[in-house]
Amino acid sequence: MSLPTSPRRLARPGVRLAAVTVAAALALAACAGSDDPGSTPSATEAADEEVTIRFSWWGSDSRHALTQQVIDAFEAQHPNITVEPDFTTWDGYWDKLSTSIAGGDAPDVITQEERYLRDYGTRGVLLDLAEVEDTLDLSGIDPSVAESGSFDGATYGVATGVNAYVVLADPQAFADAGVEMPDDTTWTWDDYVEIATKISQASGGTVYGTQDFGFNEPGFSIYARQHGQSLYKEDGTLGYKDSLMADWWKISLALQESGGQPEASRSVEIDGAGPEGSLLGTNTGAMGVWWTNQLGAISKASGRQLEILRFPGESEGKRTGMYFKPAMYYSVAKTSEHPEAAALFIDFLVNSTEAGQLLLSDRGLPANLDVRKAVQPSFADADKQAAEFLEGLSADVVDGVAVPPVGAGEVVPLIKRVNGEVLFGQITPEEAAAKFTAEVTTATQK
Amino acid sequence: MAGIAELRKLRGSASKSVAPSERGDNKAALLFLGPWFVGLLLITVGPILASLFLSFTDYNLLQPPTWIGLENYERMIDDARLHQSLRVTFTYVFVSIPLQLALALALALFLDRGVRGLAFYRSVFYLPSLLGGSVAIALLWRQVFGTQGLVNQFLEVFGVEGKGWVSHPDTALGTLVILNVWTFGAPMVIFLAGLRQIPEMYYEAAQIDGAGKVRQFMAITLPLLTPIVFFNLVLQVIHAFQSFTQAFVVSGGSGGPVDSTLFYTLYLYQKGFGALDMGYASAMAWLLLAIVAGLTAINFVVSKYWVFYDD
Amino acid sequence: MTDTATSLPTRAAGEPTRTRPPLAPRRPSARARLRVVLKHALLIAFGLIMIYPLLWMLASSLKPSALIFRDPSLLPSEIDMSNYTVGWNALAHPFSHYLLNSAVLVLGALLGNLVSCSMAAYAFARLNFKGRKIWFAIMLMSIMLPIHVVIVPQYILFSQLGWVNTFLPLIVPKLLATDAFFVFLMVQFFRGLPRELDEAARIDGAGHVRIFLQVMLPLSVPALATTAIFTFIWTWNDFFHQLIFLTKPDMYTVPIALRSFIDSSSESSWGPMFAMSIVSLIPLFLIFLLGQKYLVKGIATTGIK
Repeated sequence: MSLPTSPRRLARPGVRLAAVTVAAALALAACAGSDDPGSTPSATEAADEEVTIRFSWWGSDSRHALTQQVIDAFEAQHPNITVEPDFTTWDGYWDKLSTSIAGGDAPDVITQEERYLRDYGTRGVLLDLAEVEDTLDLSGIDPSVAESGSFDGATYGVATGVNAYVVLADPQAFADAGVEMPDDTTWTWDDYVEIATKISQASGGTVYGTQDFGFNEPGFSIYARQHGQSLYKEDGTLGYKDSLMADWWKISLALQESGGQPEASRSVEIDGAGPEGSLLGTNTGAMGVWWTNQLGAISKASGRQLEILRFPGESEGKRTGMYFKPAMYYSVAKTSEHPEAAALFIDFLVNSTEAGQLLLSDRGLPANLDVRKAVQPSFADADKQAAEFLEGLSADVVDGVAVPPVGAGEVVPLIKRVNGEVLFGQITPEEAAAKFTAEVTTATQK
Repeated sequence: MAGIAELRKLRGSASKSVAPSERGDNKAALLFLGPWFVGLLLITVGPILASLFLSFTDYNLLQPPTWIGLENYERMIDDARLHQSLRVTFTYVFVSIPLQLALALALALFLDRGVRGLAFYRSVFYLPSLLGGSVAIALLWRQVFGTQGLVNQFLEVFGVEGKGWVSHPDTALGTLVILNVWTFGAPMVIFLAGLRQIPEMYYEAAQIDGAGKVRQFMAITLPLLTPIVFFNLVLQVIHAFQSFTQAFVVSGGSGGPVDSTLFYTLYLYQKGFGALDMGYASAMAWLLLAIVAGLTAINFVVSKYWVFYDD
Repeated sequence: MTDTATSLPTRAAGEPTRTRPPLAPRRPSARARLRVVLKHALLIAFGLIMIYPLLWMLASSLKPSALIFRDPSLLPSEIDMSNYTVGWNALAHPFSHYLLNSAVLVLGALLGNLVSCSMAAYAFARLNFKGRKIWFAIMLMSIMLPIHVVIVPQYILFSQLGWVNTFLPLIVPKLLATDAFFVFLMVQFFRGLPRELDEAARIDGAGHVRIFLQVMLPLSVPALATTAIFTFIWTWNDFFHQLIFLTKPDMYTVPIALRSFIDSSSESSWGPMFAMSIVSLIPLFLIFLLGQKYLVKGIATTGIK
C-alpha cells in the first residue's frame, strides 16, 4: 500500500492538516479489511456459523427476479448463510462498485466483465480463487472458457456462461428481396458486402442489407484472428497491424457507399437504439452482428424467426476467428470476511443443476457443460437455437481470446467515436486505425 | 438601468430609506447559520478538500491514491478531448441560457396576467421539466429528432428532406440546446414567484402618481424582478456548466456522435468512473470550478449596475 | 446576455402587466374578445408542444413493448394495460414499496430545506456579521464542483459513519442546508422585501427570531412554495445519490426501480418502464398543481397592506 508521499508545501497548516486527514481516510478505507490474516480462510469457519454475504450484479428486472429465486434456493440448502442482493443496471453498476470499493465496502461476490476483470484483478481487489479451490470446483467448466478468468498466475473469475459474436439474419427479409441465404461456412467478406447491397437494392430503400458493425470491437477481434493477428495479446499489448484495421473499416465504408447499410447518421441512430430498435428488431434490415444472448430480445422485437450465421471470412483467411466469450464472471472480493461462504455460493451458481434450471441462459449458456446439457431442454426457443449453434461451432473455434488489458473499458467509447468519424468521412480508415491504436495504447499502458 | 432611479424616486415619499443596521449581528447570525455551518464543516468541506487533494494524485478508486504533484494538470494541456469538451460546453452555455431565460421570463410575464385557465397552462408548461433526466426522454428525443421522427415528418410537408438530427455531429448539440430550452419550467416558476412577491403598494403609489402601465412595468416590475433574474442567471450558468444527465441519456453516455455532445462533466465522468482515473477527474473538476467561479464573480460585479435590492 | 433577458418583456409592456380586480367591470369589445381567442390559441398550440412527451409516454405505456419502437404514433393500434400490472409487480417488491421509500426521502428533504435554508438565507440577507461575503462565496462555490468527484469522498465519509444503506446520507445534508441553490434563492427573495418592514417590527421591539418568523416567512410564501416544489421534484428524480448510497433492494427508491427495467446489456422491459414512469409522475404532477397555487395567491400583497 503506497501512502501519498509528502504533500509538499501547502499554503497553510490548516489546509495541510485537512489534506493529510483526507489522505489518511482514503487510505484507511481502501485497505480496510485487507490486513486481516484471513487469507487462509479454510477451516476457520464452522459449517453452522451465521454468515451474511453480499452479492452484486447488473441487469434488468427479469434477471433480478431469477437471481432472487436462486438466492432463495441456496439459502434453503445453507440456512446459516444469508445472501444479500445488491443489483443495478449496467451503467450504474460500475460507478457503484468502484465507489463502494473506494469506501472499503466491497461486495463479497462480485459479478465481473471481461473488459474490467484485469482492472480489478491486478489492483488487488479480487481474491485468487485457488485459495478456495476446496469449496469451489472449477473442473466442470467448458474448457473453451475455463482459463478465461486467469492471468498473472492467478484465477480471478469464474465464467458464468458463454456467448458468441455472430451474424443474425432474417430469412424473410432475404426471401422478400429474392436473395438466397448464404452458406455461412464458406462466405467471404466480399459476399457479405454483395449480399447486403443486393437486399438494399431489391427492397428499394425500405429494408437495408445490414447494420454497421464498427461500433463494437469484438467484430474486429474476429477479423484480426482470421488474419492470424489479434486485438490484444496475452501480455495485454496490441496484436494487430494498423493496415488490417484500416481494411476492416474499408468494408464498412464500402457497405455505406453501396447502400448495403444506412448512411452515417442513421447508423449512429440505430446503434444507440439497442436490440429492440435495431434494423432486425424493427424489420427494416436483413442482417446485423450481435451476441448470441441477444437473439431472444431481437426475435421478440421483430416477431420473426431469425437465423444465426457464422461471421463471413471464416474459411477465407489463415484460420477461423470466432470464439466463445465468457458472458460474465463471478469473483470474490479479497476483503471478504467470508470467502468460504462466497465460494460456496459461486459453486452453487455455477455447478448446481438447481441454479441452472432457474437461470437457464440468463448469464450466457451455462459454463458448466453438465449443467448446460441438463437444462437445455428447458431453454426458450431462441436459446435452444443458440445452444445448437454454439455446439456446432465448437469444433472450429481455435482458441479463446486474451483477457483484455487494464483500461480496456475505455475502448468501448473510443471505438464508437472513431467509427463515427470514419462513417461521417471525417478521417480515412488509415487515420482511424492509427488514432485507435494510439489512444488504446495510452489508455491501457497505465 | 433607468428604472431603478425612477423607482427610488417613486418610493421616496412612501418610505424613509433605512440603512442596514450598523451594529453587528454576530450572535444572531450564529443562531440562524448554525445548521448551515455544521453542514459546511461536516459534510461539504471535507469532500471538497478531498477532491482538491485527489487532483494532485494518481487515484484509481481501487487502490490508495499516490501523490504526483501537478501531473494531472499538466496532462490537461495536451488533452484534445478536454478541449473539445470545453468547446461543446461553452457553446451550450452561451446559446441555451439566454434562450431559456428569455423564454421563461416572457412566459412568466404572460401567464402572470389575466388569462383564464392560468393554473392549467402553467402546469402544462411545466410538464417537460418534471420528466428530468428520465431514460424515457432519450427515446423520445430519438423519435422526435430521428431520421423518421416528428420533425422530419413535419419538414416533409414542406418538401424538405430531413436527416437524423440527434445522430449527426453537426446538429446533435443543437437538439440538446432545444431540450434544455424546452425544460424552462424551473426558471419560469421562479420568475412567477418573484412577480408575486412584488408588493402591491408600489403599484398603488405609482397609480397615485399617475404612472401609466408602461411606466409601471419599467419602473416597478422590471427593477424589482432583477434580483430574481440575477439569481436565475447565476444558477443557470453554474448548472449548465455541469450539464450531464441530458447528454448522458441522449448519447447513451458516449457524448457522441463523434464527441459532438461531449459535455465537460460527461468527459469528467468517463475519466473518473469509466477509465478509473479519479485523480484526473478531480483535476478537471477544479478547472471547472475555477472557470465557473470566475464567471460567477464577473456576474456579481456586473450585477451592481443592473440588479436592484431594497436595502 | 442580460440584454436579451431584460429587454424582451418590454414587448409585452403595452398591455396590462398584472392581474388586478378591475375597478369597474367593463364589457369586452369584439376586438378584445378576438385578442383573448388569439391568446388562447397561442397558449394551446404552445401547450401541445409541451404536453407532447407526456402523451407520448402515456401512449407508449399502453403499447406492447415490441410496438414501442415500430409504431411511434400517439394513438396505439392496440391497447394493452398489462404493462401496468406487469410493471407494478416486476421487481422484488410491489412498486408501492418504492413509492413509499421515495416519499419518506422527500418528506425529510422538504422539512430540511424549508427550515434550514430559510434560516441561513435570513442570515445572509438581513444580518450584518463578520465575513458575510466570504461565507456566501464559499457557499456558492460548494455547488460548483461536479457531483462525480465529491461522491467518492462523501461515500467514504458516510461509510465511516455507518450511514450507507440508510436514508441518512440523503436527508441529513438537507437538514444542514447544504443545498446552496435554495439558500441563494431565498436570499434573493428576502432581499427583495422592503427593509422598512423589519425596521418597523424592530421599533416595535421584535428580535430577529420574531422578524424572521412573523415578518419574513409569511411574506415569502411564493419562495417557500418554490423551494418545496423543487425539493420535491429533484429529490424524487435524483438517481445518482440514491444509487450510490442505497445498496439493499429493500431501500430502493423510484428512480432506481425505474432504471432497473432498462438494461443496455440484456433484455429491457420498455413497456413496464413507461407504465411505471407514468405512475411515478402522478405524485409529481399533483404536488405541482397543489404547490403552484401558492405562487399565485398574492399573499405578499395582502400581508403588506
